[in-house]
Amino acid sequence: MLLPAVLLYTAFIAYPFARSLLLSLYDWPGIGPKTFVGFENYRNVLTGYMSREFFRALGHNARFFVLSWLMSMIPGFLLALALSVGLRGTNILKVVYFIPNTLSIVIVGFLWGLLLNPQWGIVNQTLRAIGLESLTRPWLGSTETALPTIIAVTAWRGMGFYILVFLAAIVGINRNMFEAARIDGASEVQVVTRIIVPQLLPIVSTLTVLKVIWSFNVFDIVFAMTGAQAGPAGSTDVLGTLFYRIAFGGLGSSDVGMGLGATVVTLIFVIVLPVSIFYVFILERRTETR
Amino acid sequence: MHNPNRFFVSLLALLTVIAGVAMAGGGQEDATGGDEAPLVEIWGWRTQDAPVWEQVEAELQAHGENIEINYRAFPPTEYDSKLLVSLQGESGPDIMYTRRLPGARTQALIDGEYMIPLDGQVDFGNFTQATLNFIQSNGNTWGVPFANQIIGIFYNTSIFDEYGFEEPETWDELVEIAETLQADGVTPFFIPGKEAWALAMQHAMVGVSIPGVDWIQRLLVGDTNFLDQELVDLNTRLNDLKQYYQANFIANSTAEQDAAFALEEAAMVFYGIWGTTNWTELNPDFEFGYFPIPTVDDSDPARAYVYMDGSYALNSISDVPEAALTVLQFSATPEFGEIFSAATGEMTAVANVSMPADRPILVEAYGLSTTIAAEYIYWVGSPMGAGTPSPYDILREGMQAMYLDEITPLELAQRLQEGVSTWYAPLQ
Repeated sequence: MLLPAVLLYTAFIAYPFARSLLLSLYDWPGIGPKTFVGFENYRNVLTGYMSREFFRALGHNARFFVLSWLMSMIPGFLLALALSVGLRGTNILKVVYFIPNTLSIVIVGFLWGLLLNPQWGIVNQTLRAIGLESLTRPWLGSTETALPTIIAVTAWRGMGFYILVFLAAIVGINRNMFEAARIDGASEVQVVTRIIVPQLLPIVSTLTVLKVIWSFNVFDIVFAMTGAQAGPAGSTDVLGTLFYRIAFGGLGSSDVGMGLGATVVTLIFVIVLPVSIFYVFILERRTETR
Repeated sequence: MHNPNRFFVSLLALLTVIAGVAMAGGGQEDATGGDEAPLVEIWGWRTQDAPVWEQVEAELQAHGENIEINYRAFPPTEYDSKLLVSLQGESGPDIMYTRRLPGARTQALIDGEYMIPLDGQVDFGNFTQATLNFIQSNGNTWGVPFANQIIGIFYNTSIFDEYGFEEPETWDELVEIAETLQADGVTPFFIPGKEAWALAMQHAMVGVSIPGVDWIQRLLVGDTNFLDQELVDLNTRLNDLKQYYQANFIANSTAEQDAAFALEEAAMVFYGIWGTTNWTELNPDFEFGYFPIPTVDDSDPARAYVYMDGSYALNSISDVPEAALTVLQFSATPEFGEIFSAATGEMTAVANVSMPADRPILVEAYGLSTTIAAEYIYWVGSPMGAGTPSPYDILREGMQAMYLDEITPLELAQRLQEGVSTWYAPLQ
């Protein structure tokens, strides 16, 4: 019964990863002979000439997690709460909120690139039109705003998913608890803070773990919005774009290093693995308690 | 007892084997003894070259060569990985586009013995040594160069005419032009600051005039280094020039630059000859000119950064090596050069070719590429590009950082020195 799954897992997950792990011990430009260098690649990445870029990218991934958590979870929860009331037009709004999720990352990156254009983009134009010119920025052209902007776009695209998950969880809460609370004189705020929020904590923990995994594997949206160089001045560089540049050279790079790239991938795996194990642990525990 | 099912299965198997043998035999005849023209498979990253190879095929056939050509262009960002995967699987094209030397990608193909030296098999007499330097190593020539690129400042001739400007001969004159335009509400320069490579290119193209090729020659042999005041001055000049760039230029791409320049919203751009085709397509009435970066003193000649864009290499595991070689031999002739430039609007790497008369910018650039090309450079094609980090690697991020006032011109020089000296022996 398990054989097909094991074969697929071995062919598409275990074997490529083992190869990648092995490759991280070699110097290899992608073709021709490989040179065994032991842990030299790890030394270069962790303490050598690549360390500054590596730790900067790692920091950006961490920032990506924190900010995207705040930008996704809190608005996602609040919007789900609003939709759970069941006002007219709720179903249409659900669809509207979910539409960005159906767009490919490349399209999202392209569209927001246009919207955020510093000269004629609609974002700055709108700010000017409503008298908030002081808030206009070169959103993707400033080291201070570029990464938060990308994170905000990511949150915008994924908002529908968080709304749906939270909404499903809120709808699933036993209505009798709300009735009982209201009979006991609880205010609406108390219903939210004392009943709904505690009931959603398992969902929040699951989404948080997934958020860590996604945040440390992020590549596509950064690549789509600021390119392989992840500028300006490396301010949006994450481990994914760093890997891309190292392994495939990026546009016009002087060097390509599959071994060094495999080292970065292995380190990403080392970061994400414990979180993934924790995620599986949470799911298992939840299944057991049901 | 005779089993009819077994009989039919045996018969079917027999027929299958016979059919298979017949088909295999037929195929072999086609491949070896038939009159079918050998098909030369060519892979590259340039979509604009498709008509070139169609014309080359027609030309070869007109010369009595029974050769067919199939050209496949992949997106530039995917080409190298597609090629590597195919070569590792012992397949791939007969002729492959390769990038210039020194460079890790092409060097890997040479080290992996996928490229064959073409000396003695192709006549390289139609190329200048400066061009061949970009594809030679260890005394071997590894490919047939196809295009040269020239970079510098392209300007809107209508705007220059309107203000009565001449092409500047000194840096101060350039700044003066920018100042006049800006005072009159015209954007002097449009800079694609979002694309870090374009900023590194800008630094390099200015570098061949200021501090100049003599300084670069001394840098390459280690007689000076990046901390030299002359380089700090160059960084400062560029940093001072940013006041004449469009607002928020660090957020703009090359596509936006092309649109702004072609639609006459900016007077000048620091770019390459490859952009001209796009500008003309965006605005057929747009007229523009080119000048190399002016020097500090007009007694010093301005120099142009010219580099070879790539070459055609013979795959060592080609199925049709003779036919592929015939194609390569033709691609080294002036006849090919004319086809290439007419079809692509770019400068062929073949010397002494007449550029299309309806493209005066190409005629001018081709002439300059043979007269004022810088012999010593520190961007693509330089010995300093052979290791990591190269000046290119450092300038991409460093230029953005300097333009954003996160580092000073001196700190950019320090980054260059600290980075390149980690591996480039003359600077250690």
